[in-house]
Amino acid sequence: MKPAPFDYVVPDTVEEALEHLDRGAGDATILAGGQTLLPLLALRMSTPGVIIDINRIPALQGISFGGGATRIAPVTRQNAALGNGDLAAALPMLTTAIAHVGHFQTRNRGTVGGSISLGEPAAELPAAAVALGAEIEARSLNGERRIPAEEFYIGPYASVLEMDELVTAIHFPDWAPGSITVFHEVARRPGDFALVGLVGALTLEQGRIARAGLAWFGMGPTPMKAAQAEAALIGQTPAQVDWKAVADLAVSETDPFDDHSADADYRRNVGRSIFARTLAEALDQGAMA
Amino acid sequence: MSVPISGAGRYIGQRVLRKEDLRLLTGRGQFVDDIAIPGVLHVAYVRSQIARGRIVSMDLEAARALPGVRAVLTAADLGQFNVRLSNMHLHENNGPITLPLTAEYVRYVGDPVAMVVAESRYIAEDAVALVYVEYDEEDPLITVEDAMTGPLVHADRESNVLLQIGLPPNPEYERILAGAAKVVTSTLRHQRIAQSTMETRGCVSNPTGMGELTVYIGCQSTHIASAAIAIAFGLSENQVRVIARDVGGGFGLKAQPWREEAGAIAASLLLRRPVKWIEDRLEALTTSCPARESDITTTMAFDADAKLLAMGVVYNSNNGAYPHMPDAGMPVMMFMPGPYRVPVYQFTGKAWFTNTVGLGGYRAPWAIESLARESLFDKAAREFGIDPIEIRRRNLLTSSEVPARNPLGIEIDNITPIECLDNLLTKIDVPAFRAEQAEARKQGRYLGLGIATYIEPTAANGIFPLLSDHAQIRIDHAGKVIANLSTHSQGQGIETTHAQIIAEQLGVSVDDVTIYQDDSTRSGFGPGGAGSRQAVVAGGAIIRTARLLTDKIKAIAAHALNANPDDITIEDGMVKVAGAEAMSRSLREIAELAYGDAKRLPPGMEAGLDAQYRYTAPRMFTHATAAHACVVEVDAETGFVQIKRWISSEDCGVQINPAIVEGQIAGGVAQAIGVVLHEEFTIDARGNPTAVTFKDYHLPAITDVPILEYTHISTPSDSEGGFRGVGEGGIIIGGPTLLNAVADAMVPFGTLPDDLPMTPSKLLKLMHSEMPA
Repeated sequence: MKPAPFDYVVPDTVEEALEHLDRGAGDATILAGGQTLLPLLALRMSTPGVIIDINRIPALQGISFGGGATRIAPVTRQNAALGNGDLAAALPMLTTAIAHVGHFQTRNRGTVGGSISLGEPAAELPAAAVALGAEIEARSLNGERRIPAEEFYIGPYASVLEMDELVTAIHFPDWAPGSITVFHEVARRPGDFALVGLVGALTLEQGRIARAGLAWFGMGPTPMKAAQAEAALIGQTPAQVDWKAVADLAVSETDPFDDHSADADYRRNVGRSIFARTLAEALDQGAMA
Repeated sequence: MSVPISGAGRYIGQRVLRKEDLRLLTGRGQFVDDIAIPGVLHVAYVRSQIARGRIVSMDLEAARALPGVRAVLTAADLGQFNVRLSNMHLHENNGPITLPLTAEYVRYVGDPVAMVVAESRYIAEDAVALVYVEYDEEDPLITVEDAMTGPLVHADRESNVLLQIGLPPNPEYERILAGAAKVVTSTLRHQRIAQSTMETRGCVSNPTGMGELTVYIGCQSTHIASAAIAIAFGLSENQVRVIARDVGGGFGLKAQPWREEAGAIAASLLLRRPVKWIEDRLEALTTSCPARESDITTTMAFDADAKLLAMGVVYNSNNGAYPHMPDAGMPVMMFMPGPYRVPVYQFTGKAWFTNTVGLGGYRAPWAIESLARESLFDKAAREFGIDPIEIRRRNLLTSSEVPARNPLGIEIDNITPIECLDNLLTKIDVPAFRAEQAEARKQGRYLGLGIATYIEPTAANGIFPLLSDHAQIRIDHAGKVIANLSTHSQGQGIETTHAQIIAEQLGVSVDDVTIYQDDSTRSGFGPGGAGSRQAVVAGGAIIRTARLLTDKIKAIAAHALNANPDDITIEDGMVKVAGAEAMSRSLREIAELAYGDAKRLPPGMEAGLDAQYRYTAPRMFTHATAAHACVVEVDAETGFVQIKRWISSEDCGVQINPAIVEGQIAGGVAQAIGVVLHEEFTIDARGNPTAVTFKDYHLPAITDVPILEYTHISTPSDSEGGFRGVGEGGIIIGGPTLLNAVADAMVPFGTLPDDLPMTPSKLLKLMHSEMPA
């Protein structure tokens, strides 16, 4: 379990990193927190020619607010995000999700952008990005673009990011104050990837659900947006909702898999059970708040 | 309950803090990879990527050409050593000849076919990636079912059955089954598990001087390791010095050096350089002798009063291609009757070859007997409509029935199963639980209570090398105590427990006692950590040795002080004369006499203060006993099992250190929780291990292991000191206790599946397949 030989560069600026990425021509890998990459290197499941360490680029760290969105730079440590009171006030649903990523020790090193750009289908943050309607800002030497998170993921650990592109920020749109956090994760042990997970937010206006953003994790090859369930909830009061029907609808939008920990039927059954209860409990708590 | 032994209680029975912990917790332990020898070379193995097939060609040139590579070796290169690997009994297995490297034909994924020796492990692994092996691949046999019908795994063998054991057919058995009031039977499939020692295997082999070899190796006995290496390489034990200061877990995996360690030693002899091989976690989880994989079908016949009339067992074990030792269930057969009356008994066991990595021993290799027996007792109790505790009471041997012999002729005496069960039941209100369980079921919550009883055969005596242990104790001229013991610790805390015994016996502070057990050339021969024996046998050796020393100290003091030896006591390092406080002398003063002033010693007494004794326990097995209970809740939404309570009631005789006793029980129970709920060494249809990291190989985490509640009774054993072994009990009884609790919780849904582990998927499927009325 020793990595194969690789070149290692530590750029100081985004521009320098992009030049390395361009020069690497598909043989380069970005190192952020390294919580996934380092084990993959040790197992020689990843054998890049060059590793571009972006940990020392100041522009890639930090959280800012304004213009209808929260901008999180990708190398922001998960624990730094958790320690940011403004983020907790603006997007409590996101900080709830971050608190479930790995363990305290791994969150000291692991980054928000690393988790989101990697796209582990059973991870919390890619699903949170999809559920909350985030946009992923990517740059290459040819320019910058923003990709809706919903369109970003195309398979396990696979995204539409081009070989020469670097994620430079994640933009989370504002959710109205008082919006309700939806989060439930079923995992064998704290810190494990989910067997089944659900993340998102609901906004109530005059007692009716006015906005809904919901996505599953661990329920398919990518984070799975529960778009039909969201649509079915809009305009309803919580008391009107046929939870069983909405849960069936939400599960019908998934494509779960068998693995060591659970089979697909298990994931569908548990998903159906947790969906209704999680949303109903979240709405109850929201009503009390 | 306190138990009288000489000078009782100052250290024996006390929760003395572990002497080794400061070293271990501050990173100052010395494990194999901590050994740094200038010029050491590093080994990485080229392993087969297929499970079965002939090697057509091997291209080693690119690997050999890589800068920093010193050698790329194949079986042919090691042929000159004629290596013969032996098992922990120091016999060659009556199985396939097991070589470090495979020459022509690979038999499992991971079978080593070549080894790279290089200046660093990085370079060695780079070179491994450059080796190209072409195979003529064949379809592998993965399961016992495959082995029953498939082609031979070892072409020179008559069949895929490596070993078959059993008792002669008894016509009485069939007759009883035909006439019994009730016959229950069930099959249990025990998954394969990875050993998961915290420190992986490893060795550093250093040829020095004229034909001497020093080997640092992860082992369970420096003596067994030294002897096995000597046998393997045609040396004698006095040429092979084995050093192992700290070892991070053994469980049976490190009971004998195996293929990879032998390969590294061969390379060091061939290249005349120190050579290091450290198993990495990928190797540990895929190619390091895993354990257990077996199935067992158990039948019990009862009379109308639920009294057992007969028991029959069929056992099959998937031994893989090159097991540590053939496992056809010999100890399962021996210990299956446990603490029960079993009038008629039948057993058949077979060990099967397959194209998987060979099995090794693992903490209580026979533990499936308690899993099978105790879960079947519960099934029978349900069918009789009686309480699981009641069926045990009707069948447990009572104190008036012992000594008895079990159906294998093993003497059962001085056991306390009913006492342990009674003591357990003082800690849990079973009727109140049953009421709570009934109420919870109405609310769709599923609680279960599991109980199990067993006896554990500890400190086995009579099968080489499991016979005796040795202590050599010396009090130095400054009055401090050094003990060289034949023991070996893989984390058990022997430097503390055995220092407590010495301190108790000699009347000195435990801080003044230092234990050495790290060097095969320093202490007497012993089997080390194997079979829950070190407290019993080495403890006995220490007590006898200390007695020799105290007699000598008293004789010297009596002579010097003109007192009666019977009036002399040793306390807190002071040698005292009864009623004459002013005459007290420190142990140091007596030691100074013993080492420096022959004139003042009793006439004819030899100088010095050292003694040794080799002890054998009086019985073939010194039985320990326990009864455990646990309460679980199975979540109807997720199928998760939450352990709500766990109570241990054990009798391991005189406890040296209750905290260490409880640590042994807790560790075993944690492994049992892994077996019943979490762990599985999975292999796909082509023979590839698929749980290759701890992400997919699910060990129980700290959140999965409850805080155990302990209750102890202490009935002295018949061995010196009254100790009984406690190393393996937790895993033996933990499994059936938890399995019975889960089965009890799931009663509304029917019978549990027959294969371990009980994952949330399996439990939820059962819950959904049959919703309760």
